[in-house]
Amino acid sequence: MRAHSLLRRIWRARQLYLFISPFFILFAIFQFLPLLWSLYLSFHEWNGLGDPEPVGVANYRALLRDQMFHEALRNTTFYWIANLLLVIPLALLVASLLYNPWLKGRRAWRTVLFVPYVTASVAIGLIFKMLFDFNSGLINMALGGFGLDPVPWLTSVELSKLPVVVLNVWRVTPWFTLILFSGMLAINPELYEAATVDGANAFDRFFRITIPSLAPILFFCFVTLSIDSFRIFTEPYILTQGGPGSSSLSIVQYLYVNGFRLFKLGMASAIGYVLTAILLVVSAAQLYALRRQSGLSEVG
Amino acid sequence: MMARRGRLHPERWAVYLLLALICLAAVFPLLWMISISLKPVGEGSAGWNVLLPRAPTLTNYVAVAGLLPLGRNMLNSFVVAASGTVATVFLCSLAGFAFAKYEFPGKNALFLLLLGTMMVPPEAGVVPVFAIIRAFGWVNNLLALIVPNAATAIGIFYMRQYIASFPREIMEQARLDGAGEFRIYWQMVIPVVAPALAAWGTLAFIARWNDFFWPLIFMRSKEMYTLMVAVSVLPVSEGLSTPWPVILAGATLSVLPLLAIYFVLQQFQKEGLALGAMKG
Repeated sequence: MRAHSLLRRIWRARQLYLFISPFFILFAIFQFLPLLWSLYLSFHEWNGLGDPEPVGVANYRALLRDQMFHEALRNTTFYWIANLLLVIPLALLVASLLYNPWLKGRRAWRTVLFVPYVTASVAIGLIFKMLFDFNSGLINMALGGFGLDPVPWLTSVELSKLPVVVLNVWRVTPWFTLILFSGMLAINPELYEAATVDGANAFDRFFRITIPSLAPILFFCFVTLSIDSFRIFTEPYILTQGGPGSSSLSIVQYLYVNGFRLFKLGMASAIGYVLTAILLVVSAAQLYALRRQSGLSEVG
Repeated sequence: MMARRGRLHPERWAVYLLLALICLAAVFPLLWMISISLKPVGEGSAGWNVLLPRAPTLTNYVAVAGLLPLGRNMLNSFVVAASGTVATVFLCSLAGFAFAKYEFPGKNALFLLLLGTMMVPPEAGVVPVFAIIRAFGWVNNLLALIVPNAATAIGIFYMRQYIASFPREIMEQARLDGAGEFRIYWQMVIPVVAPALAAWGTLAFIARWNDFFWPLIFMRSKEMYTLMVAVSVLPVSEGLSTPWPVILAGATLSVLPLLAIYFVLQQFQKEGLALGAMKG
């Protein structure tokens, strides 16, 4: 009886399922099926031709010993932490500068501030390469102006990650500024007025009203920035090709090299699985932290 | 007293100064890139001469057009970005509408699943995705860049947030007048949420134009490259290293059309690009 009425409710909503179906169909073909298939492949050796040859956990075991993969993991973790420490505070700063009610030309400021996000990493990566160049780069020339020695930004194992971080921060901060600014617009201005009457200064207002009101959006920013950071590819690919050595190599870059340069498709799939596992753990940890902190039960 | 306070406030000047510095940092690399692309290849770059070309020239643009079929590459980028944007704006708003305004069995579970998919990195399954695209015969075909992300989870999430505030009474009235669900969406919801569609469309267009990873994998010949892939192979072409001003002329060509589209689209948005009712 109940099953029957459920079927009837589903049948009555058939049009709605049709409305939401394109995403789920595309997801099934281009994400879910590949996810299962690459789990299978990660236990095989395959060069794309012929049949995959089963090798058990050999790919994963090889990754455990692979120094280059370890370096890619360390580098990507560095990019992630650097992004969290730089992008979110910077985006909050710029968004709160823009939020000042007396600010003139807000629209023009916003248009210009969003320009880095519009410009492609590939194109702008090339000019950053000139900026950080050892011999003729603008940064080393500026250092020279202060009587300092030139720094091998792109060609030293210790420093090569920094230009990658600078390029990435430069390009993605406007995106998070836009999200946080949109969130600030939704805060009730009376909260600020009441706080001002009570004698709170700008600092108090920021930490007592802005930050708590933005908590769900900040959480959203943390999660998406984390996911994007672990997926970093273009910036090191263009700036340093992952080098020198593998000192700026990212996980996705190593996956790309294994899959599309060396045709070690089983190994590439195993790397993809390690990446997926990392992201699920990071996302789950952040979700857990959010629930504990604010008791929020709803993300949507 | 009040009027004068507005003018002399040192705090306000600090805010303007800080904003100006950040804006300078935001546009400087772009302006410098354009400046170098206008420099004759042999022009010295010692001292502060690096900043501005002494004898601006367009020869680098002619040279870069001889290295790659950039007109064709630009057309590819435009086709991918435009058709992908139209598809994603339509499909995401339609799905967002269904999630925001209706109750149906399994709705919450499906929505949670949709949110969960955002945490799975698409790059992880790139090897099988390539095999699937190859099975479809889409390697070196622009469809490979348009179809897989024609509807995105984040787009549906955003559209649902925005459409949630659409008044239910209007829908009830339309239903009494005999309108079907799709007609309600097409004739009533779409016009009201047009600003959100424009904002989302702008962001979707930017993301597709600038995409690098997927075209790098799927596009295998110079004619089928998008601009981003074309620019990435510029530094070394035919085994020779290309002079910097020529490379940067190519990079400038890949960025300017999108910037122009961005500035034009901005004019249509009253408050500038915003994510509307972004409630998180």
